[in-house]
Amino acid sequence: MEYQRRNFLKLMGVGGAFTLLPVGLARAATAPNPEDRAVYISASAGDDGDYYVSAFNASGKILFEQPLPGRGHDIGLRPNHVDVAAVERRPGLYGLILDRHTGDVRAKLHCPEDRRFYGHAIYSNDGRYLYITENDFDHARGVVSVWDAEDGYRRVAEFDSFGTGPHELHLMPDGEHLVIANGGLHTHPDQDGRTPLNISSMQPNLSIIDRRTGKLVHQAALKHDWHKLSIRHLDVAANGTIAAGFQYQGDLTDQVPLVGIWQPGSDIRPIEAPDTVQYRMRQYCGSVRFDASGQVFGISCPRGGLVTFWDAQTNDFLTHIAAPDGCGLAATDQAGEFVGTSGLGNGWRMDAIRRKRVELPDDSLKSQHWDNHLRRIIA
Amino acid sequence: MLSKSSRRNLLLSTTTVLAFGLISPAAQADIPDENYQPVLAHLLGTVMPPKLDDFHAATENLTSEFKDFCSDPDKGGLEDTQTAFHAAMDIWQEIQPWRMGPLVANGRDQHIEYWPDKHGTAARQFRKLMFDKPAPYTDPEQLSSASAALQGFPALEEVLFADDHGDQMIAADEDGVFLCQYGTAIATNLSTLSGELQAEWPEFAPAMENAGPDSMDYPTAKFAATDLYRALHEGLLIISTQKLARPLGENAEDARASRGESPLAGRSLRNIEHNLIGLFAIYDGTWGDVGEEGKGLAALIDNSLLDRSFKLNWQTVANTFAELPPSVAEVLEQPDGYAVLTDLKGQIDFLTMLVENDVGGNTQLGGGFNALDGD
Repeated sequence: MEYQRRNFLKLMGVGGAFTLLPVGLARAATAPNPEDRAVYISASAGDDGDYYVSAFNASGKILFEQPLPGRGHDIGLRPNHVDVAAVERRPGLYGLILDRHTGDVRAKLHCPEDRRFYGHAIYSNDGRYLYITENDFDHARGVVSVWDAEDGYRRVAEFDSFGTGPHELHLMPDGEHLVIANGGLHTHPDQDGRTPLNISSMQPNLSIIDRRTGKLVHQAALKHDWHKLSIRHLDVAANGTIAAGFQYQGDLTDQVPLVGIWQPGSDIRPIEAPDTVQYRMRQYCGSVRFDASGQVFGISCPRGGLVTFWDAQTNDFLTHIAAPDGCGLAATDQAGEFVGTSGLGNGWRMDAIRRKRVELPDDSLKSQHWDNHLRRIIA
Repeated sequence: MLSKSSRRNLLLSTTTVLAFGLISPAAQADIPDENYQPVLAHLLGTVMPPKLDDFHAATENLTSEFKDFCSDPDKGGLEDTQTAFHAAMDIWQEIQPWRMGPLVANGRDQHIEYWPDKHGTAARQFRKLMFDKPAPYTDPEQLSSASAALQGFPALEEVLFADDHGDQMIAADEDGVFLCQYGTAIATNLSTLSGELQAEWPEFAPAMENAGPDSMDYPTAKFAATDLYRALHEGLLIISTQKLARPLGENAEDARASRGESPLAGRSLRNIEHNLIGLFAIYDGTWGDVGEEGKGLAALIDNSLLDRSFKLNWQTVANTFAELPPSVAEVLEQPDGYAVLTDLKGQIDFLTMLVENDVGGNTQLGGGFNALDGD
């Protein structure tokens, strides 16, 4: 493991001698830059069943808290626009379009009666269309709905997700295709909308569809022995590499991979951490994020209180950093660096290259339980 | 099966727990991080090391017994070796739920005991092994890099307890000679693995005991203690969902003792009895003659009634297992055997609920916002 990390440091042009740097210098490399004008935005919760979309700056100072009617999940960012989309987590009924600077509500989305939102939304590069994963629960079928942002967020189309229980989706680098993590889990609002009803027969997959026609272009699944690995979260690097995090629905002691790399057109390549880390991932990945360079990706494991980091070039495990109840991850503009948030109210800058974790200094962040996903906006 | 009085005790104490369970953990002040440190120091530094010593000694004794037996095989020697197997398995079953650090490093827990074997890998590989009788499997060092299914307790159980293997070893026929050499290699390998465990624990434990903000592994003592709480919680879940649910199957007709753990040695329930000893140590801080009462997770619970109630419930369940035959097969042979096993599972599930609600809540180790309800 140490050998892999040393080689990786060389590749990143940092020589591999950072462990010898004075502690003060190493810390300075990861402390928030006062000139950093980035804004981080996430769904969050208070202590009394109150839910928000909240934003904070690079120091962790909360900038706004916009109440939500229910628990949010991820935030979709409209390119070159103030809009951000907050879609209720499964089984979600609402979606709100908010002003990224103030949190003010700019539009409301209503889920059709026979559908439920699944918490994730993504915009097309031109910002016109918003794509949301949904559950067609009566047919155990995943769909991707299309909403026209230039027409008052009118629902204009619906595509098959080519799987059950679609969760996170992303635009591919060409801007013309969507990759969807079909988690494989069938749920129904009559049975709380969250309890899996088909674990013994679940068939998760990753699917790529044409965002204009909905046509299936690529699809890949894990081998049948691993069909209980719900493929839930993913991120896409600029070169089209897809990193995915799994959530296992089988036994605690089963030895299964929890991370996969997919180059569309080939099989999903499962990768594992060393046993002592793999075990601490507790069969559950929460979010996936590539860094600014596309050479590193982080995968949070809130049940184990870890963020794991992986080399996107070699697919090797790099390192891990403890992050109690940590789940939200956003890449900063520095290679190998992420901001992470936790359900306990923490925010950290985490440097995967130097294996450093620095708590964000402003305590206002601690007033919230930070939810699954975190997004970074350049102010 | 539960006696009427023990059932009554269980129900009475349940009422007590429910009454005190109404105290919301959220209403409690945060437990200071320094309060978790003595629990870590006690469990990881005081309680566990002597048990790893015991495990290593038991596997060394098993190796010695196997060698003695194979040097001049007879029925008495076989029985002594089987007894040594049970002694080593007893202490392993107590250690098994402490799944952290060296226990899981390099797949060690699986090498020590590959179970559950959902695809029947061990039986399939064992048949092939007996057909080919490859020499590397009689060399402990080469065996250590073989399939996990062929190098730990289940493989040794096959050698010592299956079919005619004992008679073959006593007869010292071709199969028997190979079984003796292979069994000795497994016992030696187990001794090596337990020695590694014993040696690595003192390197691992301080990382948890000395948790602090500069640690990239354990930034707080509370976070480190969470791993102990998880071991307790998951240990019970594994008993219920694997060790009992697998032999129980879907219904009485589907029940199979062979799906239990250690079926050939006839000790599926004896394993659970010992699991409960190791798990209770996490809560109470005592493990046989090691440790001190109240210095485990219980030290974090500021409610003596709840603590007493929890211990009473645990003892009731532990006593139930101690009074039963050691194997699932023997229980299933009884007219009400399936109902007895189902009831046992219910008791373990009840303990799990107490751990989640009372221990998890009152020690504030039960998990956070994302860990408990992510998506």
